[in-house]
Amino acid sequence: MPQVKIIAKNFMDMVASLTAIKLDKLYNNVFICEAILRSLPPLAKKYVLQLLYTDVPVPATMLEEWVLADGVSKHRAAIDRMIQLRIFMETTDRKKGTSYSLNPTFQKNLQKHIISGGVLPREPMNSNNAIKLPSLQELETYALQQWECFLLQLINSGQGEKLTGISSSMMKIFQRGLLSQRDRDGPRLTESGFQFLLMDTNAQLWYIIREYISNAEERDVDPAELISFLLELSFHVTGEAYNLNTLTEVQRNTLKDLADLGLVKLQQGRKDSWFIPTKLATNLSVSLADSSIRKEGYVMMETNFRMYAYSTSKLQCEILRLFARIEYQLPNLIACAITKESLYNAFDNGITSDQIITFLQQNSHPRCADRVPSIPENVTDQIRLWESDLKRIEMTQAHFYDEFPSKDVFEAACDFAREWRGLLWEDSKRMRLVVKSEVHNKMREFLHTQSK
Amino acid sequence: MGHGERGRSSKKMKYSGKDDQKMKNIQNEEYYLGDDADEDSRDGEGEKKDRDYSELELKPDHVNRPLWACADGRIFLETFSPLYKQAYDFLIAIAEPVCRPESMHEYNLTPHSLYAAVSVGLETETIISVLNKLSKTKLPKEMIDFIYASTANYGKVKLVLKKNRYFIESPFPEVLKTLLSDGVISRARFSSEPYYGGDGFTVGKTSGELEAGPGELLNEAELAAAAEEKETHSFEIDPAQVENVKQRCLPSELNYPMLEEYDFRNDNVNPDLDIELKPHAQPRPYQEKSLSKMFGNGRARSGIIVLPCGAGKSLVGVSAAARIKKSVLCLATNAVSVDQWAFQFKLWSTIRDDQICRFTSDSKEKFRGNAGVVVTTYNMVAFGGKRSEDSQMIIEDMRNREWGLLLMDEVHVVPANMFRKVISITKSHCKLGLTATLVREDERITDLNFLIGPKLYEANWLDLVKGGFIANVQCAEVWCPMTKEFFAEYLKKENSKKKQALYVMNPNKFRACEFLIRFHEQQRGDKIIVFADNLFALTEYAMKLRKPMIYGATSHIERTKILEAFKTSKDLNTVFLSKVGDNSIDIPEANVIIQISSHAGSRRQEAQRLGRILRAKGKLEDRMAGGKEEYNAFFYSLVSTDTQEMYYSTKRQQFLIDQGYSFKVITSLPPPDAGASLSYHSQEEQLSLLAKVLNAGDDLVGLEQLEEDTDGMALQKERRNRSLSEMSGAKGMVYMEYNSGRHKSSGQQQFKKPKDPTKRHQLFKKRFV
Repeated sequence: MPQVKIIAKNFMDMVASLTAIKLDKLYNNVFICEAILRSLPPLAKKYVLQLLYTDVPVPATMLEEWVLADGVSKHRAAIDRMIQLRIFMETTDRKKGTSYSLNPTFQKNLQKHIISGGVLPREPMNSNNAIKLPSLQELETYALQQWECFLLQLINSGQGEKLTGISSSMMKIFQRGLLSQRDRDGPRLTESGFQFLLMDTNAQLWYIIREYISNAEERDVDPAELISFLLELSFHVTGEAYNLNTLTEVQRNTLKDLADLGLVKLQQGRKDSWFIPTKLATNLSVSLADSSIRKEGYVMMETNFRMYAYSTSKLQCEILRLFARIEYQLPNLIACAITKESLYNAFDNGITSDQIITFLQQNSHPRCADRVPSIPENVTDQIRLWESDLKRIEMTQAHFYDEFPSKDVFEAACDFAREWRGLLWEDSKRMRLVVKSEVHNKMREFLHTQSK
Repeated sequence: MGHGERGRSSKKMKYSGKDDQKMKNIQNEEYYLGDDADEDSRDGEGEKKDRDYSELELKPDHVNRPLWACADGRIFLETFSPLYKQAYDFLIAIAEPVCRPESMHEYNLTPHSLYAAVSVGLETETIISVLNKLSKTKLPKEMIDFIYASTANYGKVKLVLKKNRYFIESPFPEVLKTLLSDGVISRARFSSEPYYGGDGFTVGKTSGELEAGPGELLNEAELAAAAEEKETHSFEIDPAQVENVKQRCLPSELNYPMLEEYDFRNDNVNPDLDIELKPHAQPRPYQEKSLSKMFGNGRARSGIIVLPCGAGKSLVGVSAAARIKKSVLCLATNAVSVDQWAFQFKLWSTIRDDQICRFTSDSKEKFRGNAGVVVTTYNMVAFGGKRSEDSQMIIEDMRNREWGLLLMDEVHVVPANMFRKVISITKSHCKLGLTATLVREDERITDLNFLIGPKLYEANWLDLVKGGFIANVQCAEVWCPMTKEFFAEYLKKENSKKKQALYVMNPNKFRACEFLIRFHEQQRGDKIIVFADNLFALTEYAMKLRKPMIYGATSHIERTKILEAFKTSKDLNTVFLSKVGDNSIDIPEANVIIQISSHAGSRRQEAQRLGRILRAKGKLEDRMAGGKEEYNAFFYSLVSTDTQEMYYSTKRQQFLIDQGYSFKVITSLPPPDAGASLSYHSQEEQLSLLAKVLNAGDDLVGLEQLEEDTDGMALQKERRNRSLSEMSGAKGMVYMEYNSGRHKSSGQQQFKKPKDPTKRHQLFKKRFV
């Protein structure tokens, strides 16, 4: 089975994987330059700023002199990253050795940006009577609702109240890797699918957007253009309205999908149509590590392994069901219990105890979040113990031999296997032994020579 | 973990739901779904079980209200709500607690719990309106219907004992007529009524409810209405039939459960007992509360008060006696606790020494004067065989006396049949049962409801811990891996009877035990009790570690001597106890328990054992939440991994876990560097121990069997299932021979593994002796 490890990668990892031509083209956009700069590790940021007005290549040896001895690994990582993103151009000279210079397009645009500031291709619309903007609170609720609705549809629970406008073919693409299609018992969540559901919203969003971009070409959309639009979008102001007529055809189509995911809200006035970016959109260019938006937790874990979740969300209920037994659903409370069976079920599906514990910690109700530890120790211990209980057996491919012609042959075989460190078990009374598969061929040859 | 917290109460619901006509109308789907929560059917079926009540309508100000109520009777209570205290007092009166950890409590409404609510003076309308006030949602219609159906007939009939005669009393003559149309009751009625009124009922007067109810939640008008005098009608029944009549009236049958009340202030017939609480006897708030439930309307109600061990049950008992001021019969489980009760009476009250007497096989005292306190054991009263002349006289006196209060200790351990016998022998106006754990492995808790009365009060363990009234215990489960050799033997079929001995004698367990004893004795200066049910192990451990032990056959004198030394001597800090130490033996000094073997999956035993160290020690301010010592008592349960013990220990801990305790799992005891400083380090030592276990006869390695042991019977089924040879009964004859000598040489019989304890049980003895 191919192991698709789901790591919520940074947007920039995706950018880095674009071809050189596309990358260079991307740097024509001032905003992308800024977004890239923001995403860099601190040391790389410093290098960019330091070299911003330097027009000649700087020798690598000189750069190395800037860092202290214990910073070498960070220095290496920064340089690698910048080369990956084609911010640094590497030139090797036989005499001077390696030297670096900034990508000229990137450099020029960044210089311009610093002096004149960026101007978005579109201005927020003047708020007049025709436009009634939702409050930030409403907008956030809307965004999360859309997202949840999308996720419910994604995991095919059939519980989503309304369907999103995302085409089923597109949905299939998103589901790739998360759901396994088995004709008989319908789609099932895969290991990655379970892990996906336990991730926080931002990480999930990254995953989906990445799929969305990687699929762009199939929809006749240029991935670089899409990336550039998404990055640009992240520089818009949350809650402001932007006129749709400032967008290209492709962008307008993209925006419809994004609305389904909750990244923007589309509204229509008498004359104009406009979109309002939500927090989900403006967080796109923020790197994952510093996404500090924390939703308020809702789960209370008790020492008796009962879990109470203050939630009205069907999705959250489904998520809890991944590792707990739901016992009561009340208007604003879900009462469930973590049992050995429910956990074994989760482990079976590839969820790890650490994922569950992290999920519980991240979503712990404010009443418990202040407690140290927020999840009762006996519960976390037990979850880990149950998991380690399952890992006590080690599987080794092996072969079983019996019916040896004589005791001598048997003992010789045992010695041979022992020599090759392949003897797993022997029963000298009944002359049987088990040998690791690696040794099987050698063993066969050996026995062949013995029998002669 | 996480299982088994429900079950009993929902079973009750089903029971009454099925049998009762009046409740037919509320038998809807939810009720049957509720039954699925039974322990046995709980595994495996995930989907069916979640009950979806998300359609209930939330009230706009739901944030300020503390609870949710579900149609199947389940109630969830937020403990952090500002209304928590009021809501808790109310819920504990009307519902059965399911689990009470820190943030969220769960309760179940059952016919029995509602019966208890009505009997402490709550009325149907009050229950519904208060519940509605506290609920975040609109009350489900099913729940309202259920409360109506369960309580419509409650509190209408009372059983009153007057001048040694039993009367059924009610303000509603039509209710009495309904009752009399039932065969059982009409047969129980004495036809020789002294005078016939219109209906043939005696008419009298009684004063109404004067109680303040659950505080502010009741309004004045309701109280005023209740306080009026009511005319009552009554008829007399045969004392021998009281038990049957009471059972017949329970919710599961006629659904007119009878309240038992004793108007002790107006009782001029029975002589008063001169007894007062001493000034230093200051009941704590929860003790006051439990007493107020009992004496709410100026009369004494029969029922059960549930307080954790160490929380001062005896003071409640003595206080109740001091209020009623009539003769008291106090029943305990064994001779040691008889002594302790007598001591408690003298400690807390002004009773004169000649007014209190003990009646045990060793001491047959009689009190002087016409009223007094008798402390005895259940066995002494229920004993069916021939008695000596003087004890026969005492029993006769007991029979003929009208007791003001029948005080019953540890009601959860006594077999229901023994209760029946005791209650039919002694006539009492008021029965008060005391216990720490209202769980029984034989699921006979409902029996207690009609034998004694409803549960009047149950304290919340965690609240008492927070208040510093009982010790804050750190519970730990120590996982001891089996050594290779022991595990190999454990898995062999021919050792099926030695399984227990093998996992208890696991050298790793021994080393962990030795380590813990050493640590607590030397590092903390603690007093330690080690519990072992397995006598073979008890002896081996105690001998090897050179510590004294007490088991069933230890004589009363020797027990007292050992316990006295344990209490006072600095050199004796550890004592080994068999099952006899589970109940009643009061060892207030101990603060550490190490359990090396236990009785299968008995939740009650676990709770009782924990109770041995709950008595709070040290200064109060240190114990309070946030005080100096976080934990001042330790409870270790040593289990051998990969054996049956693991399964049992999960089951055993359930009760305590539901009370909010948590068990920490320790996997690294003894520390790896302990090496040869602990016993059984070398393989030779381990192997010789193994040989010893294997060579011991099967009868030596079994459990100790005590007479008052009900869990044994309940759990026996499980044990018997394990071995075919045990079930074949081929060895039964041998055991009957041993049985014949059991009274003379009780020491010997304790060692033998009972193949089928039902044969040896007190209640069945007659047939075999």
